[in-house]
Amino acid sequence: MSKTTRRTTMVGAVALATGLARPAMAQDATVKIGIIYPLSGNSATAGNYSKMALEVGADVINNGDADLAKFIPLAKGGGLPGLKNAKIQLVFADNQGTPAAGQNQALRLITEEKVAALIGAYQSGITLTASAIAERHGIPFVNGESVAANLTERGFKWFFRVTPVAIDFARAYSAFLKEQKAAGRKTDNIALVHENTEYGNSVGSVIIDQFKKDGFNVGTKIAYSANSSDVQPQVLQLKEKNPDVLIFISYTSDAILYTKTMKELNWKPGILIADNAGFNDPAFVKSLGNEVEGLINRSAFSAGKPGSVPDLFNKLYVKKTGGDGLDDVSVRGLQAFMVLADALNRAGSTEPAKIQAALKATDLPAEQMVAGYDGVKFDDKGQNTKAASVVTQMRGGKYVTVAPKDRATAEVILPYKGW
Amino acid sequence: MSLILVQVIVSGLLLGAVYALFSSGLTLIWGMMNVVNFAHGDFVMLGMYSAVMVWTALGGGPFAAVPVAAMLIATLGVLSYFMLVRHIMKGPMLAQILGTFGLALFLRYAAFWYFGANFKTLPDTLVGGSFVFMGLRFEGSRVLAGAMGLGITLLLHFILTRTAIGSRMLAVSEDATAAQLMGIRPQRMQALAWGMAGAATGIAGALIANFFYTSPTVGETLAILAFVTVSFGGFGSVLGALVAGLIIGVVESLSAYLIGPVYKDVIVYILFVLVLWFRPQGLMGKT
Amino acid sequence: MNRFLIPGALLALALVYPLLVQSLPVYERLGALVLLGAIGASAWNIVGGYAGQVSVGHAVFFGFGAYSSVVVYTHLGWPPIAGAPLGMALSVLLAAVIGVPTLRLSGHYFSMATIAVGELVRVLSSTSEFLGGAQGLGGPAIPRTVFDLSFLSAMPFYYIFLVVLSLLLLLTWIIERGRMGFYLRAIKDSERAARSLGVSAGRYKLYAYMLSGAFAALAGSLYLCMFGFVDPDSGFGILISVKMVVMAALGGAGQLFGPLVGALILVPLEELSNSLLGGQGAGLTFVVYGAIIVIIARFLPSGLLSLLNRRKVNRVD
Repeated sequence: MSKTTRRTTMVGAVALATGLARPAMAQDATVKIGIIYPLSGNSATAGNYSKMALEVGADVINNGDADLAKFIPLAKGGGLPGLKNAKIQLVFADNQGTPAAGQNQALRLITEEKVAALIGAYQSGITLTASAIAERHGIPFVNGESVAANLTERGFKWFFRVTPVAIDFARAYSAFLKEQKAAGRKTDNIALVHENTEYGNSVGSVIIDQFKKDGFNVGTKIAYSANSSDVQPQVLQLKEKNPDVLIFISYTSDAILYTKTMKELNWKPGILIADNAGFNDPAFVKSLGNEVEGLINRSAFSAGKPGSVPDLFNKLYVKKTGGDGLDDVSVRGLQAFMVLADALNRAGSTEPAKIQAALKATDLPAEQMVAGYDGVKFDDKGQNTKAASVVTQMRGGKYVTVAPKDRATAEVILPYKGW
Repeated sequence: MSLILVQVIVSGLLLGAVYALFSSGLTLIWGMMNVVNFAHGDFVMLGMYSAVMVWTALGGGPFAAVPVAAMLIATLGVLSYFMLVRHIMKGPMLAQILGTFGLALFLRYAAFWYFGANFKTLPDTLVGGSFVFMGLRFEGSRVLAGAMGLGITLLLHFILTRTAIGSRMLAVSEDATAAQLMGIRPQRMQALAWGMAGAATGIAGALIANFFYTSPTVGETLAILAFVTVSFGGFGSVLGALVAGLIIGVVESLSAYLIGPVYKDVIVYILFVLVLWFRPQGLMGKT
Repeated sequence: MNRFLIPGALLALALVYPLLVQSLPVYERLGALVLLGAIGASAWNIVGGYAGQVSVGHAVFFGFGAYSSVVVYTHLGWPPIAGAPLGMALSVLLAAVIGVPTLRLSGHYFSMATIAVGELVRVLSSTSEFLGGAQGLGGPAIPRTVFDLSFLSAMPFYYIFLVVLSLLLLLTWIIERGRMGFYLRAIKDSERAARSLGVSAGRYKLYAYMLSGAFAALAGSLYLCMFGFVDPDSGFGILISVKMVVMAALGGAGQLFGPLVGALILVPLEELSNSLLGGQGAGLTFVVYGAIIVIIARFLPSGLLSLLNRRKVNRVD
């Protein structure tokens, strides 16, 4: 009895599996791209915003946008001309915030969904395990937002990273502080507060190294566990040390607590820099943007002039999300997608090796960028050499670009005002 | 002692009272029925969302949110008791972990599905901002939560030790069969305990939401703290949880300030294991 | 004869399963994941199920295993699997260190103490440079030799895990039938009664804990070989501990095949629900996953195997 039941289940499972595994040839009109993001768990906010950004991108390529078409050839609509006008189909998967789920889903997307290439996976550790599967299967993996240095040091041939990495951020901050110093602001005593997971640790240590090189003194360094229940002692410690410049590296939950607690305890530094992540979360900007007036941030997103590529994409995105604009995370994901779409188009085939060759030959100019990069061109290790960040400042509940000069849309106003 | 250090200790005490506040519901059920509710953090989370909803939909502050959250989470508690807990109590102790862990995931992601992944915060003006007293700064919402933490703990303690209904509940927790012979209906008492615990938990959530963030996964952060607080204080001892909460709050604040925030959890866990080494039944638990 | 028919058929099915799904890599991998989950949960079962000491901190051992494997690669250049014996040995020692103070605690106090120790180790690991800090450590990115166990298909892992699980279950079976199994059951039923009968309860609980820890570490090492990366959350996270408990409890704790049955239900449920629902980003995966666990706990609080036992009892009647 139990044996037959088991066998039927087995057959059922196999049938289900084959049902899922549609052959790639069956639909010439579409090309599938697999996307792995944290769609549940603590980083789900970021994953879900990025998901919407990619959907906007796919929509622009499939259905066209007249304004964007002036800058980006692929925005004319009607799919990828180089690939017999194939439309792009996005297949999303949830990495659940664990390296294991990320890898399992990568395998599923490759072998069952038969995707032409993968994009993902937000958290560096998950990008590491998911791209390892892509490498073994010889499928291109394009990463838009993981900054851990070791990702491009593995000798992988199928891994391409579009995002700037920690050292780029550190240089941007350092350059900014040098300008402020030259303008006569106090920058003698710098404090760095970072959360103690991979993101905070890696970015924090790179910033400290770079600052040391540039002659800045990071006198106080406070590491804390992410998702803390309370941050009052840290803020009190800062209040006591009273640094001229404070740098936060925090996810949303802690960004909220720090902002509220600094107001409660009534302390603020002359210059407050918050590295991206939590302080860029649209939910944070919406609810607490007015409490951090004058906050300095970095972003790959700079809205630019009306009618520019970022501005046009941003308008489409706002329509999609119902109010939230592009931010650093979603724009980097979108940029990675646009890079892959361009490569697919030039490859003229869904054959992995051709896509890989096209990615290697990628050379996109700054005018086509939705992210604030100088362009996209990969080095031998698969790192985009033209990635860059702009420095932004919170003004009236919105971020405006204040540096570098050629991209700035507003003059920087200091000291930090807060609430 | 420097003023800053005093402020650290005072902040720690207030924080501790908040820990006692969101642990009180857990300790009641734990003590009454020897059931660990792994979904406790998610009950708190739903209490927090109640406050967020009261604010966004009705524009109401904590005085509207507290009764709403108390009623909603009390209902959830009673429902959980009748639909799940009552049945898993027939099985081994492991069934509690299984059932309430499943419930935790279900509630967490039902909230995720309904409210979305985004973090929500309430404006700090709802409880009147912050004030200075004897050179120390206090945040209105934290003081309110701390005071309610003390109040609810003492109220629960009073109900359990000084009222007829409390002695009936304790009789059921000592020996359900004997209590039944004396005309007490154990199931009704246990359902009442879940209702009371739910109400306390809902109130805790509604108050914490004023100075914390609300997200579907926030319960995870709070649950482990609640577990440690309750077993530190001793199962079934409402006062024990209060004392433990205050100790943990101050130790966390001081160690975060003096040693470094990464190590504050380490110190609390070491302290916790040490307490159990010397007092296996917790600070004020029954042997 | 009937006694061997069903297990024999199941074993045969387990042996040929990868061949049946050879063209479906996801299902091949799913088989390996089920076995890996079953190894962890069966390891937990020795102390949590048989001895009734509900540890919710077994991730400590799992993480030690995973980190031992990655550390011998990172610092010595050895293949990760070579770290497995090291991880097991360290876990036995660690089990003694944790077990002596915590196993004296009864019931929920023990569970809570193990949670605290688990979190303690997790936080400490994130501050250790040697262990790669919060960033974690990766195994060999590109395999150097076959011993790096980096395969395109999950089939080799499947058979490795099957051998390990079989050995573990065999060992558990021997213990179950021997004196130690008898003592452990006595301790589980009533520690005081066991003591009064002259059973050295503390010693046997500790033995069970050490053995359990060693195999949980092995599960961690095997995990690392397959996934090639570990960080504090994926090694020492509380969810890993809870999953071991839930898997064993769902199938039937304290029974030889309980954890395997639990893994056979939970792992496919987790993977398939994520594959089918995860991409929507609405969290429905866990709504379904949680609801099914609740329903099983509600109707079968003693685990799925109690269905079978109930039928057996009826037959005897």
